[in-house]
Amino acid sequence: MAHAFLFVDDSALHHQMYRLIFSRGALAGNTLYHATNGREGYALLAQHPELALVFLDLNMPEMNGLEVLARRAAERLHPQVPIVLVTTESTEDDEVRARSAGAWDYLRKPFQPADVERLVARALAEAAGSAA
Amino acid sequence: MSAEDNAFRELIDEYVVECLPLAERAADALVDVERRRRAGTGGDELLGPVKGWLHTVKGNSAMMGLTPIQESAHALEDLCAALIERGGDDGDGLLALLVEGGGLLVDQVRGAAAGGTVEGATGWLARAAAAARGAANGNGKAADRRRSERRRGAEADGAANVVRVDFRRLDTLLEVLGEGLIEQAAVAEAYRRVARRAGSTPGLPELDHAILALEKTMKRLEGVVMETRLLPISSVFGRFPRLLRGVAEGVGKRVRLETSGGETAMDKAVLDRLGEPLLHLLTNAVVHGIETPAERRAAGKPDEGALRLAAVSRSGRVAIELADDGRGLNERRILDRAVELGLTSAGEESDPHALIFQPGFSTADRVSELAGRGVGLDVVAAAVRALGGTIAVRSRPGEGSAFLLDIPLTLAIVRSLIVEVDQERYAVPIAQVAATVRAEPQALHEINHRGVAVWRGGLIQVTDGGALLGTGARSDRGRRFYVVISSGGRRRGILVDRLIGHQDVVVKGLDPSLGRPDVVSGTTILGDGRVACILDPVRILEQRVPA
Repeated sequence: MAHAFLFVDDSALHHQMYRLIFSRGALAGNTLYHATNGREGYALLAQHPELALVFLDLNMPEMNGLEVLARRAAERLHPQVPIVLVTTESTEDDEVRARSAGAWDYLRKPFQPADVERLVARALAEAAGSAA
Repeated sequence: MSAEDNAFRELIDEYVVECLPLAERAADALVDVERRRRAGTGGDELLGPVKGWLHTVKGNSAMMGLTPIQESAHALEDLCAALIERGGDDGDGLLALLVEGGGLLVDQVRGAAAGGTVEGATGWLARAAAAARGAANGNGKAADRRRSERRRGAEADGAANVVRVDFRRLDTLLEVLGEGLIEQAAVAEAYRRVARRAGSTPGLPELDHAILALEKTMKRLEGVVMETRLLPISSVFGRFPRLLRGVAEGVGKRVRLETSGGETAMDKAVLDRLGEPLLHLLTNAVVHGIETPAERRAAGKPDEGALRLAAVSRSGRVAIELADDGRGLNERRILDRAVELGLTSAGEESDPHALIFQPGFSTADRVSELAGRGVGLDVVAAAVRALGGTIAVRSRPGEGSAFLLDIPLTLAIVRSLIVEVDQERYAVPIAQVAATVRAEPQALHEINHRGVAVWRGGLIQVTDGGALLGTGARSDRGRRFYVVISSGGRRRGILVDRLIGHQDVVVKGLDPSLGRPDVVSGTTILGDGRVACILDPVRILEQRVPA
């Protein structure tokens, strides 16, 4: 069954990377949504409660990843959609802050396709578990 | 994870498209910060955005497995943070380090397809890390962040396929290769002697095969060694836009520099010696070639002058063209100036395009500080010729000038013509050999005690090889050939006894006890173990040597 994924990142290169990862193997054939800033990403999240997982970049102009998480929490927008916060570097503090802001998990650059595959598999398994 | 086996390797073009503008913006902004700080007009407000761009470059480089670029971007980010914390105080020269690093980063990103290693990056990184550490003393948070980053960096390094090698090791490798090539030639020569004498002997064909196979392998080894010494020419081009912007501002002009062929690879030893002459030509173009915006408008040209710098590689050599759309050479003024300087006399037909490369030539009324610190095109031409290259200029009044350089890829191994004079062998670099001619007595003449020959319908001076090289005067029976050497439009014949053949010779330093250093650029060892001097046609042509 095809799932829907959202990528929010201001880097065109990263969108290409996600496309590449989602063009192969088990991840091929899913529906992909792309947003290049937090505002756009939030709008897409609002339109798509069916999203299986969101990859949200931390550092973006116009509403960064933490701001998106904070607004989502405040507005209780689709709390069932897991959001992975993607960052270049972070301290443990940052990760704690991200989780308390409502991030489901954390992905640190540089990541490999396998890291994304693992997160997707876990998100889908958790969704199946909670539905059962 | 190295760049080669990175999962996103195929996105390398997208990486450059995204990161190069960011790196350039950051590098330019850092130059701006420095300028504005010096002028006392702030500039620090630019550091915030710069940090953001660097952060993106760092993250993207990490994703692509481009560790050297990631490290540079990271160090720059740290330096920015340190400078922001300091406010106005820059006792450690952080800003100078930032400006230098910005240029390096641009070069690295430009060369990302080749792994992003750039000469000088390692040294800079060490200095930057030391400076950032010094600046961050007493700032626990920044230091913590760095520590955790460094741990992660070390892990990434462990998995990398890219190793950094001190260039001196590559020089040693080349030296050993050179010895191998000489020994291989010696084996081949010994074989030929034995085979000539022994005729068909069991075992000789196998030996012949083995020698041929060895030759092929050595040729491959030579290729591999030479390849490791190659760097993209963009490592030189990369810093020009920023340098030129400053020059243009200084003289009230507007210029845009377009470069192409930056991926063309050349031996690092050549590149090291090419930057200055090229920068000099570019600076000249901005100061003398490109008109002021007002002049350009009056001539119906866009305000902004265009400079084009292009490199193309052609079988062992690289052609570099530097063109501007400025006013072109003022031929009248060049000829007048040449007469003034005694380089030519008033009525004499002279090629103004060749005159500008003559020693001591300059038309600038006063030596412009920017145009080259008192150095003229003659010095550029000399530097180019010293690399075994040639330089020429094409120009049209009102439309612009183009300088055309032709430079060998490498200095280390030189294709040469081996000749014999008075039982001594010499190597003459093929690049400067225009022809070899049988010395027919009726074609050689003496005018004013100088030998001349009729060659291709003109007269050229012919010098005796023995007199030139100090091995003796012209032998009684006369020399059988002359080699026509040519460089920078000048030609001369050198009389020799025998033409031995072509060979790739490995250039060795000059042993002061050998030969006359004013006509010899180095030595090499031939297949028979003999040391041969490599003639320096450029210097021979520049000097008045005995006829």
